[in-house]
Amino acid sequence: MRKHLLFALALMTLSLLFAGVVSAQTSAMNGAGAGPAAAARSIGATVPDFTLTDTNGATKTLSDVKGAKGTVLIFISSRCPVVKAYNERMEQLAKDYKARGINFVGINANSNEPLDEVKAHASAHYTFPVLIDKGNKIADQLNAEHTPEVFFLDANNKLVYHGRIDNNRDQGMVSKSELKDALEAVLAGKAVAVTETAAVGCSIKKVE
Amino acid sequence: MPFCNSRRVLLSCTLLLVLTSAGQLAVYAQAAPLKQTNDKTAATTSPLKPLEIDIEGLKKILRRGADATPQHPLLLNFWATWCDPCREEFPDLLKVEADYRKRGLEFAAVSFDFSEDVQKALPDFLREMKADITPYWLNLPDPEPAIRMVDPQWTGGIPTTFLFDAKGNLVFKHTGKVKVAELRAAIEKVTSDK
Repeated sequence: MRKHLLFALALMTLSLLFAGVVSAQTSAMNGAGAGPAAAARSIGATVPDFTLTDTNGATKTLSDVKGAKGTVLIFISSRCPVVKAYNERMEQLAKDYKARGINFVGINANSNEPLDEVKAHASAHYTFPVLIDKGNKIADQLNAEHTPEVFFLDANNKLVYHGRIDNNRDQGMVSKSELKDALEAVLAGKAVAVTETAAVGCSIKKVE
Repeated sequence: MPFCNSRRVLLSCTLLLVLTSAGQLAVYAQAAPLKQTNDKTAATTSPLKPLEIDIEGLKKILRRGADATPQHPLLLNFWATWCDPCREEFPDLLKVEADYRKRGLEFAAVSFDFSEDVQKALPDFLREMKADITPYWLNLPDPEPAIRMVDPQWTGGIPTTFLFDAKGNLVFKHTGKVKVAELRAAIEKVTSDK
């Protein structure tokens, strides 16, 4: 009799544990959908610290790569023609603003791009670090959908600008440089005027 | 037009501009129905020239103009020939379009192709696909207003596929290569059984 009772208790504990795991997974899935993820992308929200690996396999947290005055996270791709058109502009901005305390960080979340390719592309074009978002964890957290897509965080990791680098793939045709405007605003201690922009880019090839 | 700076070609460029504008007028004139009267043989043998549209043209497709009353569900796909998943999903979309055309589904494929690809790469691809559709090319120096007009939540990644019901409500959206079964299920809900 006592054995049976113990067995029943153990079963109950197990099922409770199982239920807990399931509900935790469900909320994680919700997180990847519309709920908390949307909040993470909304202007003013704080992006929590994360851990990814760089193209050399070294572990990097957001705290490791962030700049003293802010951090520009750019979702990139080694294949997207739009990213390719922006390679030089990204590198130039990264150089200019690193000197002023804002670090640029590339994030590659495309599941179809092998590490060798990402590494070769990064070392050919960028001096800023490129992190690999395996399983598109961070892309889902930020609700990032395409490349190049910018998330500019202030010194406290608060999202202050989200969207494009500027308004034309062809550098000669650019008439609005919203990222640069946001960078200057933050460095001047002012509020960012345009906080959300959109541009045509390549959808991130996520794992389901 | 950047290639119109030499005097020698000025005249022909002017002519080209006039012709292009005339083409756009033609697009507006045939706002609904969206289907082109191309017969299949023409589509496979002659170059399939995309119809150049601007934000007003897109508004017509979305039937968001003042006089427009939506009557049919609309499947709207944004794509480009430079986009691999766009090319990959294109045959699936054409199949869906062919399957649901009789049930009142309207289909618009709107390309964000780079201007240098519009003369050759775009028509070549459409020919290869044997696309019996009206191909649109959205030519905007800054596509942001168009992106925002279609869906304020969309940040501009392509491919993105939208399905609007007959009342013009957005009922399905997918960025990245579309999942055909999901898309078909969504279309089933907004088309009649006839």
